[in-house]
This record gives sequence, C-alpha cells and structure tokens, in this order.
Amino acid sequence: MSATKGSLTYARFFVRGDAPEVQPERALRAVRLHAFRPLVPDEDAKESVGWCRFGEAFDLEPEHDDVFVDEFVNLGLRIDRWAIPGALLRARLREREVELLAQKGRERLTRVEKKELKEQVSRSLRHELPPRTRAVDVSWAPASGVVRLFTQAAGPAAALGELFKRTFKVELVAEAPYTLAARLGMSAAREAAWAAAEPTTLAEEAR
Amino acid sequence: MQLVDRIEKRRFIGRELLLWLWFESEVLDGTLPTASQGELGLWIEREVLLSNGKELTRVKGAAPALGRDAKEALLAGKLPERASFKVSMGEREASFTLKAETLALSSLRLPTVLDDGDEPAPGELGAGPPRRGRARRSTVEEDEDRARDAAALAFQERMALTREIEAMLEALYADFLRLRLDSHWEALVVPAMRTWASGGRIDAERYLRARRAATHRARRR
Repeated sequence: MSATKGSLTYARFFVRGDAPEVQPERALRAVRLHAFRPLVPDEDAKESVGWCRFGEAFDLEPEHDDVFVDEFVNLGLRIDRWAIPGALLRARLREREVELLAQKGRERLTRVEKKELKEQVSRSLRHELPPRTRAVDVSWAPASGVVRLFTQAAGPAAALGELFKRTFKVELVAEAPYTLAARLGMSAAREAAWAAAEPTTLAEEAR
Repeated sequence: MQLVDRIEKRRFIGRELLLWLWFESEVLDGTLPTASQGELGLWIEREVLLSNGKELTRVKGAAPALGRDAKEALLAGKLPERASFKVSMGEREASFTLKAETLALSSLRLPTVLDDGDEPAPGELGAGPPRRGRARRSTVEEDEDRARDAAALAFQERMALTREIEAMLEALYADFLRLRLDSHWEALVVPAMRTWASGGRIDAERYLRARRAATHRARRR
C-alpha cells in the first residue's frame, strides 16, 4: 500500500478529458474539505472515506509540502469500516435475546424486534471495537493526467474514483489495453481494427 | 462501438501482449528491439499464470515459460493472465508482474532506490538548502523536516524509475499494436507463435527482419 517502501504494486488511472490546472491553494482547501472523518459509533454510516497525509493514515491535516512534491499531488486514501467479528456479534445477540425474552415473558421475538436488537448490539459493539483502518497512497501527476493508486484491490479503486470526483471535479478512467492504445494514438484504421479484433488462440484444434 | 465496449470487450488484447512478449523474449534470446527505446532485455521469470475461462495453469520456477507445461497450456487454448518479468536497461535491472487485462504492475522492484530512512548530511544529495533562522526550533522538528525531505527525494527517485519502466512497456506495447492491428499479426506473428509453442524451430533472424519491416511499414501508415 506504500509508494515509498519496498516493491511497488499499483493501478493506474487517467483523468478523463483535458488535464485540469491544479492551483495548489485551492486544491489543498478541497483536500481539507474532503479529509477523512472518523466513524462515529452511534451514527448509521458503516464506512468512511477521505484524504489523509500520504503515508500517514492518522494525520488528517496534510500540509502543502506533504501534498505537493515535485510535479506530484500526493495524498493518502483512508477507508475505515466497522468490522465486527460475526462470532462475537452472534454471541452478544444470543445473550441480549435471552434477557429480552425474560423481560417480556415471551418465547420468541418478532422479526422487527430481532432487527432492532441486532442494530442495538452492533452499535454497542462499535463503542468497544475500533473500526478497521486502511490507508493507501495515491500519487497524481496533473500534467500527464496519471493517477497511481498503490494497491490493485477493487474497493479502494472505486472509493478513489468517487472521492477524486468530489474533491477535484474530474473523472478517472482505469487503465486497460484500450485506454493505453488510445493514448499512444489510434488512427481511424486502427480504431476499426480494434473494434474488429477477435481473440487469438494457439489451440491446435482451432487450426 | 461504445467506449465501454472498446475497453471491456477487448481486454484480451492485454493477454495477447503478454503472449507476444513471452514469444519474442524466447525467440530473440531476451533482447527485444523497440522502435522508440532501442533494445531492451526482457524475459519471464518466477511465474506465469495462464487461463481459459475457469481453467488455470500456474507455472513457477526460475524460467517458468521455457518448459513444456506452459507451452502445452498455450496449445490447449490458454493465454497468459499475468506474468513476472525481469527487465534490463543498460546496466540496471528491475522486475515486476504484469497483469494482462489491466496492464497493472505489481511487485515492481526498482533498480536503485535512495535510502529513505537515513538523513543526508549537509551538502549531500537530498540534504536540501541550508536552513536559516531556525535556531530556536526543536531538534524534533528539524528531524521531522529532514525525514520529510529524505522521503520526498526517495519518492521522486522511485517515481522517475517507475516512469522509465512504464515508458519501456509503452514502447513495447506500441510495437505490439503495430503488428496486432495490422494484417502482419495473422500473416507473420501468429504462425510463428504456433510453431514456437509446438516446439518447432523459428529462424530468429528471419523473423526479426520481417517483424522490423512490418512495424516500420505500420509506423508509416
């Protein structure tokens, strides 16, 4: 997940359309506006996504020099999610169900009561357990329009697209054989050949 | 054809890129010519994963692509889904795994990376300009600044090297597309790849001449 240590694993994205002009002060304000906000146990949100400092998941106020490095805009994509272990949730639910049935003098709970109880128990467990924190380095080179996300997992990739759009008002397109071909230059003849291309096989029965 | 179709329905082109890189690296003894970057050293090492729908063949080892297992998988209709490559550019070497359908790099080991932990001494590369008016600042703050500068420098070097690798791959992809999106693919490359996968002999010099002429003609169009 890190761009600064060890081997690199990343996915590339490209800003759709013309490269926007990045005005550092404005960009930094937009980043701060969309900075990561910690999850609150009593609120309904199960996940929170926002920016943090590049390489520092718990620094939520990146400064100018953290963000603007050479021609890059460097940020951390932080994603927190409540992750209550299923076994713990089931055990607590059983305990509370037994208590509630005893209080009500009944043998079973209605479907609505069960749902409410699950919500109550989940909420109380959120006070006891910290959310699962994930932070991934993101590096954007505005001049070339390339954004490198230092993971290839689908979840952070989707979160990046959303957050990028909200923060910088630009849409990202994930790299694929076609996107790279298009950037390298496709004439009308090549576009036609691309559209008509059929998969190659070396299978002997296909000959 | 809509943009989404051009992206999603032609992801197999990435698998064909890997197949072509594999084929050329073997036939041309690991030295691939490119139109824009000159000659590059490139070969598969550690692992190649082939698939056809749900059927997978994973071949591991020092030179996994050289063995018959991998070739048999090709002849059974599988194509590379990802492969680990070693690349040499002049005296420098790097390694990475390339995913066919996203062209994404993983486990990219760069040739040289500045130490991102040590502080550069004053005057050394990465030490930055001499600071003034900071006599009252605590040592902790100065240490943080130095660590930040060193990390920024290390990051810049890593990105410069990463872009070199990307440029090399883009040069290879550009040459591949010149063949793939032209009649040369079916006329020259696919028959040669079939002969190679079946264990037949390829006249490397002759292939290379034909390939150079084909990419040259395609470039001029």
